[in-house]
Amino acid sequence: MSHSVLVCDDAIFMRTMISDILAQAGFEVVGEAETGVQAVDKYKQLKPDLVTMDIVMPDMGGIDAVREITKFDPDAKILMCSAMGQQALVVEAIQAGAKDFVVKPFQPSRVLEAVQRVLG
Amino acid sequence: MDLSQYAELFLAESREHLSACNQLLLEWERHPAAPEPVGGIFRAVHTVKGMAATMGYARVADLAHRMENLLDHLRRGAAGRRAGDDVLQLLFRATDALEKAIQVSAAGREQDADVVGIVAELDRAVQRFAPDTAPRHAPPSPPSPPSPPPEVSAPVVGPGRRVRVTLRPEAPLKGPRALIVLKRAAGLGTVSQVQPQPAALEAEDFEGQFSFWLAGPAPADLVVATLAAAGDVEEVRVDDDAAPVARAETGAPLESGKARHIRVDLRRLDALMDQIGELVTARGRLNQLAAERRDPMIDDLAIQISRLSADLQAEIIQARMTPVWQVFDRFPRLVRDLARDLGKPVAFRVEGKEIELDRAILDELGDPLVHLLRNAVDHGLETPADRRRAGKKPEGEIVLAAVRERASVAISIADDGRGIDRARILAKAQAEGLLDAHVETLSDDQLLRVLARPGFSTAAAVTSVSGRGVGIDVAMTKIRALGGTIDIRTEVGKGTTFVLRLPVTLAIVRALIAAVGRERYALPLTYVAETVEFGVVPITTVEGREAMVLRDRVVPLVHLRQLLGVNGDQPPARRPVIVIEMGERRTGLIVDGMLGQQEIVVKAFDAPRGTLPVFSGATIMGDGVPALILDAGGLL
Amino acid sequence: MGDAQVVRLLVFRVGSLTCAAAAEVVREILPRLDTTRIPGAPPVVAGLVNVRGTLVTVVEGWKALGQPEPAARTEGGTTVLLQIGGGQKTIGFTVDEVVDMLAVAEETLEPRQALPGLDPKLVRAVGRRRDQLFVVLDTDALLGPVLTT
Repeated sequence: MSHSVLVCDDAIFMRTMISDILAQAGFEVVGEAETGVQAVDKYKQLKPDLVTMDIVMPDMGGIDAVREITKFDPDAKILMCSAMGQQALVVEAIQAGAKDFVVKPFQPSRVLEAVQRVLG
Repeated sequence: MDLSQYAELFLAESREHLSACNQLLLEWERHPAAPEPVGGIFRAVHTVKGMAATMGYARVADLAHRMENLLDHLRRGAAGRRAGDDVLQLLFRATDALEKAIQVSAAGREQDADVVGIVAELDRAVQRFAPDTAPRHAPPSPPSPPSPPPEVSAPVVGPGRRVRVTLRPEAPLKGPRALIVLKRAAGLGTVSQVQPQPAALEAEDFEGQFSFWLAGPAPADLVVATLAAAGDVEEVRVDDDAAPVARAETGAPLESGKARHIRVDLRRLDALMDQIGELVTARGRLNQLAAERRDPMIDDLAIQISRLSADLQAEIIQARMTPVWQVFDRFPRLVRDLARDLGKPVAFRVEGKEIELDRAILDELGDPLVHLLRNAVDHGLETPADRRRAGKKPEGEIVLAAVRERASVAISIADDGRGIDRARILAKAQAEGLLDAHVETLSDDQLLRVLARPGFSTAAAVTSVSGRGVGIDVAMTKIRALGGTIDIRTEVGKGTTFVLRLPVTLAIVRALIAAVGRERYALPLTYVAETVEFGVVPITTVEGREAMVLRDRVVPLVHLRQLLGVNGDQPPARRPVIVIEMGERRTGLIVDGMLGQQEIVVKAFDAPRGTLPVFSGATIMGDGVPALILDAGGLL
Repeated sequence: MGDAQVVRLLVFRVGSLTCAAAAEVVREILPRLDTTRIPGAPPVVAGLVNVRGTLVTVVEGWKALGQPEPAARTEGGTTVLLQIGGGQKTIGFTVDEVVDMLAVAEETLEPRQALPGLDPKLVRAVGRRRDQLFVVLDTDALLGPVLTT
């Protein structure tokens, strides 16, 4: 069975690209969220095997979403998607419970590596 | 990975974010102390940065990054949140520069993106905030070494073994990566004496090498394997076992599966539309066949296919519908800039943003609207001094509104300015020989026609509309080409309103099919007011032209046989007159007969030289033979 | 053969004239189709035809080449779709019949020359097939001016 993924990013462009990368590698993108609030709601509803999470999103940022999701499911596997220059935020996200991170611009191979690590 | 497939999406989404930036900047300008706009602008710019970096547009990403820096300072209240006008103007300019850089980059000419000047300006602005600002993204809490998980309760024997980890030199964000390695280590035992200090690790203040003591029962090879799998790890050494050196593995098992979402390429939508057009044509042929054969089986099938194709057609037309805000959203910025340049305060309002139009029409609408809005600010509105003298509030008002009408959308641009002085335009038009000397007043309609004449320059003599001609000419041509109309209403001292009426969709329209001789012509129903029988209503002559009087209105007549040069055969004794209408203008078209109404697919064709300028395209009839579509605008 | 200098030509007959067009501009060969007159268009334009849903303007070959009107319009006749302006536009051209598809060495074609009754601007070269002369038409010069730019 292929792993299910929830892709969270406020940019369709980014969601499209991440979804394409994952879908081509055989993952099933079961949902997309464009805000932190949506990410939390969809996590609860879809219980995906993996979440990719943008840090900067409207209404609730990615880090708060990580806190909410791990509160609901301590085993949630969340991969942060970060831009260069956000190390402090990534640190915060990892302390909040994110399992790993990838840095934009994305290279498919690096995204897939990180996903494998997170799914362990 | 082929990124070109994402270029369009990148461009489309960047535009949305830029549009949001402009909206928020305007809001910020109006309410300099409001906390919300800066956060939104920061997010928009940040998103553009991430997308641009992914596309490999380094200059766009760089510019966005510098903007983000400045915004971050503002966001964090370095400037007390209240943005100074100079900073706002800089951000407006930077947004413009970003838009340009995005455009040329997406067009494959990144080298033409000139961001050096604006980047320097942004950096200087950041410098001004820098001294009294904490470093951005200060870690929220002093990072403590990851606490050992309580369940690892193996006997702690001294500090354990020394573990040295080297991250790959190219690894991005080494600090967070080190943190992940430490977290994994904490899953194996007790971590202590992290070198360099965790704070330095998180601040990226190290060269990618760090070490710590790990106490616990985990065998060395397990430690190496676990930590090497933390990502971007080049080497792990465990002291009491000098040998194990692991390199991280890569590779993803490929399981099959499919995504549930789909995205539709715009071109595909166009192709689909073409094919639906073909289907509609074939449906017409089938209906014809069913009528000829009188076979109930064929009849049933024809009805079923009719219904299916009608549904399909409605769906696809709906898929092409785009809300007008996609074009309107850039106008507040445009009007603001113009108003600033001209020193005229303007309250600009947009209504009916959610009204939808076929994307093909909407794409073409930007330019004409820009012309009309420019006119409204530049010529429609008076200066604040003049307004005060006229007893108006000094701030002028412009309203851009979209309203759905039956089969069309009306878009109006209304100003509360000085209005157009008809007497002066009339005098000018008569002086230029555009109108007969005996015309005494200009109707709205005549006024528009005069104003829209290419080269009708009112210059200084008629200040109220100086230069208006050019813009209206351009707008009129474009709107006509889209099968739409323009009307004008104006009142001296009160203001001027232009109303554009556009078909909701271009591709498929309902049309009346008229016979002229042995030829068939289609006439979109949007413009058909009514039909009457020729000769039943009184015929008269107005200014040498044949006309009929219809309910007290004189309607000029056109014999399509003559106009289109149809010869042969006597015209039938009883002939219909199709009255077409556009705004206030009406004309009666005398045809030989009516062949009914049907949906037609509008297609373009390469018109030969000399083709009469009264066709808006052609369509393929049920029998597969083309018929030309009459253009109401050209006939009136 | 097989060398670089081979020219492929579509040879067709219009009235008494045997003509050829470069094969690379020939998009399709179709039977004569029902045309719809375009009011105002010059007389050489036969009208508009429907080619599988696309509208194409058709030029009457005999009129364009100054040939006498065919005595009686017999069934048959052919419409050749030609690309003009470097493939930008497609235009139809009616001919009496398509005769042959030839691959000839370029040097066997004589450069354009005056031919009785034919505007030299429309002639690119003259070739020979089974001892019969044929005119290689400059289709852009012949058909380009028909359409508005």
